[in-house]
Amino acid sequence: MSGQLIASIADGVVLAAILAVAAMGFTLQFSLTNVLNLSFGSVMTVGAFVAYLIAVVHLTPWLGIALGGVAGAVTTVVLGRGVLRLYARRRTQLFEMMMVTLGLSLIIDYTVQAISHNNIYGYSVLQGSALSMGPIRVTPVQVGIVILALVVLLATWGSLKFTRMGKALRATAVEPGLARACGIPTGRVVLVTWVASGFLCGLAGVVFVISTQSVDYTTGEGFLPLVIAAAILGGVGNLWGAVGASLVMGIVTEVVAGLGQGGYSTVAGFAILVVVLLLRPGAVFGGSEDRQLVL
Amino acid sequence: MQPRKLTLGAALAALSGLLLAACGSTAATSKATLTVGGVIAITGSSSFEGGNLFEGVYPAIYEINQAGGVLGHKLTLKQVDTRGDPADALPAVQQMLATTSNLVMVAGVDTSSAPTIVPVLNSAHIPMTTVAGESVYDQSPYPYFWRLFPPDSANGTAMALWAKKKGYTRVAAVFGSDPGSQGDLPGNVQSLKALHIPLVANITLTPGQSSYQSQVNQLIAAHPDVIMTEADSGTAGTFFGELKSLGGLVPIIGTQAMDTPPEISAIQSALGPTDFQKYMSMVISAPSQVTPAVTAFNNAVKGDASQIGVSVSQAQQNPFAVVYYDGMIAMALAMVAAKSTDPKVFNSYMSKVCNPGPGKTVVYTFAQGVKALNQGKQIQYFGASGLIDFNKYHNSYGNQEAVSLTSSGAAVPLGTISVQAIEAVKVTGVA
Repeated sequence: MSGQLIASIADGVVLAAILAVAAMGFTLQFSLTNVLNLSFGSVMTVGAFVAYLIAVVHLTPWLGIALGGVAGAVTTVVLGRGVLRLYARRRTQLFEMMMVTLGLSLIIDYTVQAISHNNIYGYSVLQGSALSMGPIRVTPVQVGIVILALVVLLATWGSLKFTRMGKALRATAVEPGLARACGIPTGRVVLVTWVASGFLCGLAGVVFVISTQSVDYTTGEGFLPLVIAAAILGGVGNLWGAVGASLVMGIVTEVVAGLGQGGYSTVAGFAILVVVLLLRPGAVFGGSEDRQLVL
Repeated sequence: MQPRKLTLGAALAALSGLLLAACGSTAATSKATLTVGGVIAITGSSSFEGGNLFEGVYPAIYEINQAGGVLGHKLTLKQVDTRGDPADALPAVQQMLATTSNLVMVAGVDTSSAPTIVPVLNSAHIPMTTVAGESVYDQSPYPYFWRLFPPDSANGTAMALWAKKKGYTRVAAVFGSDPGSQGDLPGNVQSLKALHIPLVANITLTPGQSSYQSQVNQLIAAHPDVIMTEADSGTAGTFFGELKSLGGLVPIIGTQAMDTPPEISAIQSALGPTDFQKYMSMVISAPSQVTPAVTAFNNAVKGDASQIGVSVSQAQQNPFAVVYYDGMIAMALAMVAAKSTDPKVFNSYMSKVCNPGPGKTVVYTFAQGVKALNQGKQIQYFGASGLIDFNKYHNSYGNQEAVSLTSSGAAVPLGTISVQAIEAVKVTGVA
């Protein structure tokens, strides 16, 4: 039983790593723009499909990972700067903007569905023989995913903490008007945020399908609730929080599945969110009702 | 007198005209096109079920219309999309019933929508030929329900029997949590128990998860020597891909529902062609021997290739398509035998034109059936899927067969599980 528990915790760490990459991208963008971006999952799908297409033409999967991230960044910038900013200029409110992103999500999903003929495509890349350490069995690619998540965390955290742009981003997230008055180019900060969060989103899509070994038009959409939950649970804008929340959700999900209750694994993960929201009711919008869109 | 004669003549002429017009009208009505409702998931995650239906029903309609139609009526298919969800299916079906003139039958009703839709169609006196496998229809109370497909419980029993025949002693059941995938599980589990084969793991997969790593590890820890499975293609692809990655592959026996292009494609992608052929097998309805009915089906598929949306060979090998085809042909022959297109009249003729009986003329095609019926003979339609013999609950199914698949998807027979052997396994608690 303890062996099974240890194995499940290890599985949970792998799941958390995938979740964390996406949650970091989501929380980064949400904390700055205040847009609860429901098209995030669809952009993950776009990134995943780009990586799949790279595999189809027999190019290295590493290129697929990179281009999946780039595709996510490009798509996100197009949506953020090309579409959402138009609505922001018309003084669209937070909830309305969320509905706009939902609409964009559906448009992307159904476009991908049409192009992909509603098929599920196998995507087996970078898989290798399993590694065993006691009760833990993992594949090299899963170890790679965990390392990737750590690298992303440190790189993003370091960028925010030590670079000029990172400081500008944090200042804009806290008080955009004051930041602008202080000469911070908030427009450029927003653009960089869209690029960074979009890249992480696309990257998360690729990592996700490397794990699931299949891709279809619903790939990201199904994962989105977990991403949002982890971002909210960790505290909006809090990278370490997002990673910690991902760990909690990933481990709880896999432990419940490991106990033979696979049907309730996701439910258990969300039960934590429900309890936390009960204890921290202002988590979604930081407890402030006067937050404005920053686009 | 002259005016009166004229009046009488005019009245007679008018009456004749009216009678002619009436006759003409009757003739026109009798030649009206009859509509077949294709009530199935056409979009959404179960859209492959729509493909299965179209690959069988369009060729059947083609064959029937080529033979002159049913009592002079041509047939046409009206697609009704359930999206695999009862919430979408119910309004779609209600709209179909309200707006479709000359609706004579329904083909389809997917597994998820069947509990909602079957009673509605039955109340509307619309006969339906379905492949919904739920065991609740093993003793169907619905007179307009016809199933030419083994119930899920029988498929589950056949899998257990095949495991026994192969000498497996440690079985793991891996089934999706969705209703469609759960159908075979109770019959499978109860049959394993009845056959004294230990079930060492019973794992449920919730569709759409990013990983099934814990379930995979749970499975490996149970050390099964065979896996019995049904899950949607995405879930199956992820699970078996992870199982292979973690080095846990053992022989896999899939249900009949796994013998569809999306599932095959997903598992083949996950396992790779070599391991797919090495480990994967399925238990499906035993294909018919090559009869004129099979030839007619193959020809009809070729003749209507533009409608079916997949390659001719793919449609010809689809076990669901051939069942839909048989259902359509049988229903059309029932109309001819009843000399009526009124469902209330021809519904009871389904068994009469299909079931074997003394003195009956065996027919293999719609045209043969019509010819024999016009000669006053009683007929037995022997379908492209094989013998059709409805019981009192309007169920008909025959032997099942274990098959492996080549890389091109062609079935390679491994062994037969007879319907007698399936019925001999007394399972309890399966509803």
